[in-house]
Amino acid sequence: MDMVKAEGLTYEYIKTIETDHGTEEEKVLALNHLDITVEKGSFIAVLGHNGSGKSTFAKHINALVKPTKGTIWVNGFDTNQEELVWDIRQSAGMVFQNPDNQLVATVVEEDIAFGPENLGVPPKEIRKRVDEALATVGMSEYTTHSPNRLSGGQKQRMAIAGVLAMKPDCIVLDEPTAMLDPVGRKEVMQTILRLNKEEGITMILITHYMDEAAMADDVYVIDDGNLVMHGTPKEIFSEVEQMKHYGLDVPQVTEVAYELRKQGIDIPKDILTVEEMVGAICRLK
Amino acid sequence: MLRDITIGQYYPAESIIHRLDARVKLVITFFYILSLFFVNTFVGYLFVIFVLGLAVKASKVPLKFMLKGIKSIMIIILFTAGINIFMTQGDTVLFQKGIITITQEGVFLAIKMCIRLILLIIGSSILTLTTTPIQLTDGIEYLLRPWKKIGVPAHEIAMMMTIALRFIPTLLDETDKIMKAQQARGADFDTGNVIQKAKRLIPILVPLFISAFRRADDLAMAMEARCYHGDENRTRMNEMKYQKADYVAQVCLICYLGVIIALRVAAAKLPFFL
Amino acid sequence: MSIKINHLTHIYNRGTAFEKTALQDVTLEIEKGEFIGLIGHTGSGKSTLIQHLNGLISPTEGEILLDGVNIHGDKKNLRSVRQRIGLAFQYPEHQLFEMTVWKDVAFGPNNMKLSAEEVEQRVEQALQTVGIPKELYGKSPFELSGGQKRRVAIAGVLAMNPEVFILDEPTAGLDPKGRDEILDAIKALHEERKITVILVSHSMEDVAKLVDRIIVMHKGRVAMTGTPGEVFSRVEEIEKMGLAAPQISYVFAQLKAKGYPVPTDIYTTKDATKALMDLIGQVKLC
Repeated sequence: MDMVKAEGLTYEYIKTIETDHGTEEEKVLALNHLDITVEKGSFIAVLGHNGSGKSTFAKHINALVKPTKGTIWVNGFDTNQEELVWDIRQSAGMVFQNPDNQLVATVVEEDIAFGPENLGVPPKEIRKRVDEALATVGMSEYTTHSPNRLSGGQKQRMAIAGVLAMKPDCIVLDEPTAMLDPVGRKEVMQTILRLNKEEGITMILITHYMDEAAMADDVYVIDDGNLVMHGTPKEIFSEVEQMKHYGLDVPQVTEVAYELRKQGIDIPKDILTVEEMVGAICRLK
Repeated sequence: MLRDITIGQYYPAESIIHRLDARVKLVITFFYILSLFFVNTFVGYLFVIFVLGLAVKASKVPLKFMLKGIKSIMIIILFTAGINIFMTQGDTVLFQKGIITITQEGVFLAIKMCIRLILLIIGSSILTLTTTPIQLTDGIEYLLRPWKKIGVPAHEIAMMMTIALRFIPTLLDETDKIMKAQQARGADFDTGNVIQKAKRLIPILVPLFISAFRRADDLAMAMEARCYHGDENRTRMNEMKYQKADYVAQVCLICYLGVIIALRVAAAKLPFFL
Repeated sequence: MSIKINHLTHIYNRGTAFEKTALQDVTLEIEKGEFIGLIGHTGSGKSTLIQHLNGLISPTEGEILLDGVNIHGDKKNLRSVRQRIGLAFQYPEHQLFEMTVWKDVAFGPNNMKLSAEEVEQRVEQALQTVGIPKELYGKSPFELSGGQKRRVAIAGVLAMNPEVFILDEPTAGLDPKGRDEILDAIKALHEERKITVILVSHSMEDVAKLVDRIIVMHKGRVAMTGTPGEVFSRVEEIEKMGLAAPQISYVFAQLKAKGYPVPTDIYTTKDATKALMDLIGQVKLC
């Protein structure tokens, strides 16, 4: 079964704008007929610049936003059905951008327990889940700490643990590293990768960092609410011109390969890593 | 700077008082505060001071810590004392000049009010210094539960307290940052009269409120995403359970209240200055 | 205007349990008109350092000389120091508070008690430099997009006409387009006004593209200083400090290790393409 399946997913909202002639209402099409299928256990990245609609898509997976048209199934549950909302949120957890604004409690373990407590899990089971979740993200030594003194990366790992304690099948991460420093970004990305590979949790990463998207199995590019590109990272990033057109970056090595090809050098266009680049140059000799 | 403000600060230590159930501590503190208004003699205060001294000793929190709290409200204490000295009418006039009259009754009343306030603060700081905020809110939620039927939102009050405690340090940091940023733009918070100073707070308050609302919005969504839907079918990881010490503490409370009442009854026969 | 930092040490919460040395004997000199990249991971002391330069915090030991004058010497001077050394904090858009874009940018110049015409001229110029179109001047800053808000906030500091402009993580949280807009504005600013710019950043690619000189902070000390080429050729040392060089620098480090005759001070895609074309050409000659 698919983890997430969107068919003709459309989201429209009305924005009031102030003009010289008073207020006017304008329809904004945040998502336009999106068809996306995410297989269980995969790691997908959704790329797009700010305001492209990628965050709106993420919120649909958690039933925080309902489609105006079309349908999205999460773990087989249709998000249009009001009574399924808790099942949906339990199967697809969500981690948000700002590490400070998603932690509820003043003690790490209390915060991790928040989700399972809401689900009505028995106390002994919660204790077990909290300890396991903290161990999984490598934060066991901070169990009784206050989140205030943790680093951004640690707070995001806590947020991931908070979702893990709800035993989800899928985690949606909405720009989880945008406010972190390089060390924090690395911590969070390693945690995401490990959970995907070892625990088999489906990961949906919303980002505008190309190096993060490069680690995914599948990449979707959203631009102005439209799904404009879909493929493996190699397929996506090798389209250097198209990526730039959508306001996105490609890895430096990919860009260099692109420039070299323009000058007539026979080098593969889907180079993403330093090793691939070095290898390709050595083969030229 | 702003971070030095301590609200409900917890002092970690291993003591009998720390281990007591938060509910028991809340109840004891409640009756203790009530008792302060019941005591009206110096003999009675001596007894309360003695009992409080024992509690401070048992809590293993340095007395210095508790006295810190008094320093910050010294103005209120002095103000109360002043009002009592000057406003109390009495028979034994000690000093009179113009409209100012100081009576013996006034002086005694002022001293008693000061003692009362100091005892109140030290007593309640034992509660906050030995109980983590989480335990405290859990305790309050539990104790308010019987009142739910008449519409007291026990769970919501507790949740609000938890969130407030969680965000106070964050917002203090933010205030610090905003102040520095506006100072870097030439804002001056130190000079000028009261009105000018108040006006200068706008560049701090507006961004602070906007930030607080943005955070509230984000947090609401994050809580919803984690299946929060009030206290319906909600369980707790740490359930509160009474230990032997909690029962002992309750017995102590009853004995204490007995002595207070006995003293009050006896007070009628004592001269007023005792 | 030159900045000279002599043996600067800063200790937070001295004498308490939370005592922390944020800066340890930092000595630096920054020349007029330089474009400096200040890098280092969180907690390396870079934020503490720039707050000293702006006079927001005072040194525990050492001094900062601005054209030979100690900026912490006389408290009355601090406000003029803040005008001469502009500081845009991280997420500066969080400090916007006025009803309109124009008024917010005018806050700084108004605090300097300049004439109305002077304020107007500076606001206009600052907004132009950061590329905010005229039709947005009368709008509420809170209606703008994230990237626009940030540019308005930066204009707010710029309108004070600082001689030195310090930007703390100006691109944090922005998408590539927003980032490029900000960086282009900063670049134009440096070129047109010839002012000294200190760019604090985690992003090596951003720094590499723009600056003349890089200062690397590590554990409260200056760990390295030099041109981007010099600094990024020391890939291994940078890694040890929890930082990363631009991706392309690693390619050249590895090629060099394999014995290819390549330069190691490459950090932009443009130079990389050129150097690789040279390499391929050379081999063909052989």
